[in-house]
Amino acid sequence: MKGGIDFHTHPVLVREMVERYPDLAKAARDTFHCGNNFQPLEVMLAEMDIAGIDKAVVLPIDATTSRNATVYTNEQIVELCSLSDRLIGFASVDPHQNSAPATLETAINMLGLHGLKLAPAMQEFFPDDRMAYPVYECAQALGIPILFHAGLSWEPGSRLKYGHPLRFEDVAADFPKLNIVLAHLAWPWVVDAVALALKYPNVHLDVSALYFDNPRDFLRYAMTQQVPLTVFERSLRRQVLFGSDNPRIEIKSMARAVRSLGFSDECLELIFRINAERLLGERS
Amino acid sequence: MIIQLHRIEVISRKDMEMIDITPEVDRLVEQSRVAQGMVFVMTAHTTSGIVVTEGVECLERDIPAHLERLAPKDPPEGSYGYYHNRLLDFDGRLGYNAADHLKSVIGGINTFFPIELGKVVRGGRQRVYFVEYDGPLARTVFIQIIGAEAA
Repeated sequence: MKGGIDFHTHPVLVREMVERYPDLAKAARDTFHCGNNFQPLEVMLAEMDIAGIDKAVVLPIDATTSRNATVYTNEQIVELCSLSDRLIGFASVDPHQNSAPATLETAINMLGLHGLKLAPAMQEFFPDDRMAYPVYECAQALGIPILFHAGLSWEPGSRLKYGHPLRFEDVAADFPKLNIVLAHLAWPWVVDAVALALKYPNVHLDVSALYFDNPRDFLRYAMTQQVPLTVFERSLRRQVLFGSDNPRIEIKSMARAVRSLGFSDECLELIFRINAERLLGERS
Repeated sequence: MIIQLHRIEVISRKDMEMIDITPEVDRLVEQSRVAQGMVFVMTAHTTSGIVVTEGVECLERDIPAHLERLAPKDPPEGSYGYYHNRLLDFDGRLGYNAADHLKSVIGGINTFFPIELGKVVRGGRQRVYFVEYDGPLARTVFIQIIGAEAA
């Protein structure tokens, strides 16, 4: 199986953008907490080639209220995507701000972005806080998916309490036509995240999880021991998405690990390509 | 006495890759005006290396393959693991490149050659390679040239 979409990348190390916007370096180091060297975009594209990945979703985070910072603005994401047709831009908004729905509408309808990224732990809000409901209503009306950070957060200052899967249940139940993706398998709460996905067909999981050992051994633990692989293969085959969390881990490494788990070729095709295409295509 | 430090960028496009940087070393030495002296080549990174060997495609395959056997990225399941595979808070990510650090240690990170009559003195089959163990990445190689100008 070759070809596919990486549904979860953070372009914080792209050198061309850091050279244009020096504040992005500060955002990468101080807000996103990534210490690796800045790299030309061609390195990311070469890694996608090695991984057999055609396109990657690139994510911003609007943490204006909580961190007084953005990790890419929506406009910067648009500019980044103009550098390669292999990048799919998402928007981010600050749910604390009353203007968030209007900002989202502009990002989708005027800027041409394809989905919404929210990071409750970094943005400091509980997903089921009614404060955020206008944003969800807007996303549902626009027909775009929301990719939520879920589970453990690397960044110092980000609290785990904002990422528990059960705090997403009201969102899934109250917005049944809104596709939501819980990132990182919501690790360590994989069982809870799977329960949510089993109950709510609009809940999806991305596999961009690596918190110890190596991608192969970690995913084997999370996706064959914490929850049997057969559950993902048989019950959630249309709700699992490939994501790497690049640059926290290499795209090539996560792709190899997912392919080593024992999924059928048909299921890998769903995980790597078809499920992502469906979520991204709902709008059109 | 002339002392020059150059930084060149090398972009790898594979997981592991040997990239011949001999022409760049030669060019910098010839431009340096050093007649008698020494050129020192060192990678700036701990998951890459500098290797001197014969410039043939078969060795460009064999050397990374042998280092991978000595320090496999993923050790055989159930055998052993690496302590480095843990959250590195200063990098904001998990260290999944212990094996690449080990390859760098085994293969070495630097080399040097004499300079005579303004040219690098090498054995007839020796080439200077930057070796990538954790690519693709944009990398920096230091090239320092030290010596005396022609009288």
